[in-house]
Amino acid sequence: MPPLDKKIKKFLKNSIRVAPKISDKGEFGELRAGLVSPYPQTRKDAIKKTIQQMTLGKDVSPLFPDVLKNIATIDIEQKKLVYLYVMNYAEIYPELCILAVNTFVTDSQDPNPLIRCMAIRTMSMIKVDKILEYIDTPLRRTLQDDNPYVRKTAVICVAKLFQLNKQLCVELGVLEDLANALDDDNPMVISNAIASIIEINSIDPTVIDLIRLIETHVSKFLLVLNECTEWARMTILTALAEYNSRDSLEAKDIIDRVTAHLQHVNPSVVLATVKVILKNITQLDPNQYSPDSKIMKKISSALVSLMSTPPELQYVALKNIRIILEKYPEILNKELRIFYVKFNDPMYVKLEKIEILVRLVDVSNIKQCTLLLNELKEYSMEFELEFVSRSIQAMAELGIKNGNEIFIAKIADIICNEILERGGGIETIRDDCCVALSNLLRCCDMNESMVKQICSILNSWSSPEDILTSDLSKCHYIWLMTKYPNHFTTVIEKLKTFIDNFTQEESMTQVAILLSVIKLHTRLEGSVLQNLFELATSYEAVDIDVRDMAMMYWRCFSIDDSNVEKDQLINELCNNGLNPLPRIDNILEMFSPDTLEKLLNQLGTISSIYFEPLTEDILNESRKRRSQMNQNIIKSQKLNDLQDIARNELLDGHEDVLLDFGDEDDSSSNMASSNNNNNTLKELDDLFGNITQDVKNLNISQQQSNTDSNQAPSANTTTSNTQDLLDLF
Amino acid sequence: MGNYFSSMFDRLWGTNKELRILILGLDGAGKTTILYRLQIGEVVTTKPTIGFNVETLTYKNLKLNVWDLGGQTSIRPYWRCYYADTAAVIFVVDSTDKDRMATAAKELHMMLSEEELQDSALLVFANKQDQPGALSASEVSKELNLVDLKDRSWSIVASSAIKGEGITEGLDWLIDVIKEEQL
Repeated sequence: MPPLDKKIKKFLKNSIRVAPKISDKGEFGELRAGLVSPYPQTRKDAIKKTIQQMTLGKDVSPLFPDVLKNIATIDIEQKKLVYLYVMNYAEIYPELCILAVNTFVTDSQDPNPLIRCMAIRTMSMIKVDKILEYIDTPLRRTLQDDNPYVRKTAVICVAKLFQLNKQLCVELGVLEDLANALDDDNPMVISNAIASIIEINSIDPTVIDLIRLIETHVSKFLLVLNECTEWARMTILTALAEYNSRDSLEAKDIIDRVTAHLQHVNPSVVLATVKVILKNITQLDPNQYSPDSKIMKKISSALVSLMSTPPELQYVALKNIRIILEKYPEILNKELRIFYVKFNDPMYVKLEKIEILVRLVDVSNIKQCTLLLNELKEYSMEFELEFVSRSIQAMAELGIKNGNEIFIAKIADIICNEILERGGGIETIRDDCCVALSNLLRCCDMNESMVKQICSILNSWSSPEDILTSDLSKCHYIWLMTKYPNHFTTVIEKLKTFIDNFTQEESMTQVAILLSVIKLHTRLEGSVLQNLFELATSYEAVDIDVRDMAMMYWRCFSIDDSNVEKDQLINELCNNGLNPLPRIDNILEMFSPDTLEKLLNQLGTISSIYFEPLTEDILNESRKRRSQMNQNIIKSQKLNDLQDIARNELLDGHEDVLLDFGDEDDSSSNMASSNNNNNTLKELDDLFGNITQDVKNLNISQQQSNTDSNQAPSANTTTSNTQDLLDLF
Repeated sequence: MGNYFSSMFDRLWGTNKELRILILGLDGAGKTTILYRLQIGEVVTTKPTIGFNVETLTYKNLKLNVWDLGGQTSIRPYWRCYYADTAAVIFVVDSTDKDRMATAAKELHMMLSEEELQDSALLVFANKQDQPGALSASEVSKELNLVDLKDRSWSIVASSAIKGEGITEGLDWLIDVIKEEQL
């Protein structure tokens, strides 16, 4: 249509329009007049403008009674807007909400399924107990609706109602209807029903027998899986992952049926599918899931395909791959190349990729190891410090995992000659090299040439206590010094400077100094040991472990000279380093078998990112928090006080009050009660004050628990590495 | 273009503007039944109205916006929200409910004393005439003290919403009064 024609039409339309227009100013007076205008068009415009103001963040709640009048309309657009408004402000006017009930109930029988959905959806969202009182019939009716879309909405509403009012939900018996919805013909309804049931189960596991429901519907789930949307597939797959198959035949069947979804574009569906397969695979004959089996190849190619997603998803995928790798280490070992770091990967993906690379590499394949080493060498030449330091560590991890002395020597050579040459001026790189080198030496401590090479480099550092910055690296350095005192020219001087700084060091270094001094006490003057003991046991800020350790050694040393066993004891304490150390074969962090099993069941969830399985405690905590949150449903009984206030305000001549709550016969007592006005106002303040206070508390407790769960996993993993180092002494 | 002319005529004749009519009365008087009798000409099965029903109907070239408000004691206070710009009030009384006639009278007079309703016409339906023992229109009128009303056009019609008797007669009268007074 030519624009001129449009213009003419618009002009005509506007010029013959009788209904007054609403300006863009959004003044309450104008909007209010518009909302009750005799012209339907004006009313609609006014609603639009009101919603516009609402979305801009302005508080348009004073218009509530007038907007509410427009809720009964055949215009679906207008109805939607009014519903939106009611949803937003219902809690401010719990008393007035009751006026909308009739419309909700009527709309839930509307011939238009969209309106039926809208009505039930909105109704179950309003946190006002008076509305919920009337939800019975509409909810029941929509649960049995002919239209699958309506039924699908209704089953979700059951979960919403359960959140708001558990007791009512149980009394109405809609939970049985919900369970019956699992037998529906429509995949959409089934998936939403199971999602709803899972949700309810997470709030209160006692009301519904989730496991039994899943068990009885497995075949149904498998049947509808192919016809669902991706979200529906997600929920159904999650439900299937809860199911323990009875025998290998059933497991095989489930695996066969879900395998097709490994090729889905949505990574979440892929991960959920992997989860279901891995859950059932253990039921099979072991040779059916050997690394070369069809199914493993399929999983492997699915995981590879996840690496072509955006970086954020890649990160999630990498975290999950790490879990899977620990259970099935061979699964991806032909795909090492996929995990090579790309120059434009974000840092978090790069670091995670290195984790995967060192875990994935097949140590029996020397060619692959060499390739990876070269790759890591490249990484260590990058400019991002965090990345470089991770790759240096990875080299040591790779070397130790490989265990071949020649290979380790090669790595040590690279670190000594190339990385230290180039980045030796940078503190953190030095730290990491020091740690990496001593780790490598721990693996093959008998290789004289390597010991010589490494020690000569470390020996050349004039004042290690200043050069090294991290606690860990200092600890390693001192350990090396003590282990190979003959390769260090000025070991006593160096140790002494460390002792001088004893009080400033962190606990790991303090322990290292202490042990080192004990071992070398024959070379030091007698007073050094004594002084250190005194320092370590007296100094206030010292770590309790350091103090206890010092105490213990001190006692050993102060055994009476006449005792023959003393010399032997001290000899054993000091010469431990001369005996061969227990050989380390891996310094990678691993999950405990228990944790690993739990994590495998939680692939694709937030637990798989934090490596922190969802425990019953966390669940209980979240349940408690949720029930607290939902307790602030507005109870209208409390609002009798509010009515009094409103009446008093009327007496004081406030014209803005829209409602008269009053029965006439109260008016005489009003005069008397106006004296109490202040009191009731205070009560009102208290009422609201409490509510806001509660909400604040809730928020805070939520944040706290969030940060708690963040910190926990990282703390667990970092200590393990240093722990086994300390165990060596 | 024809569309535009016809809608233009509609606008000139003022049919675009809606007249607001309220149907009030105690619970169970038959308000919702009367509303749907007017709207679709049939008896519908009703449930107590929690809130309101509103229907737009065209009667004698006038567009009427008819509001049926719930009559429960808990909802009665909110009638007040709907008084503004009301052309007429239809008050429905259950003629068989002699016990609550006094309550009905009280509600009626309280409502009419509102300033916003000073210019509205009043039509009273003495409903449920089909039931045995129903009071006649004049008896209801007496019970409600309708004669006391000054400065207001009012009328009382005996009706049966179930049978459809008296409803159109009452509405005819109401429309005539509105046309006379307001247009």
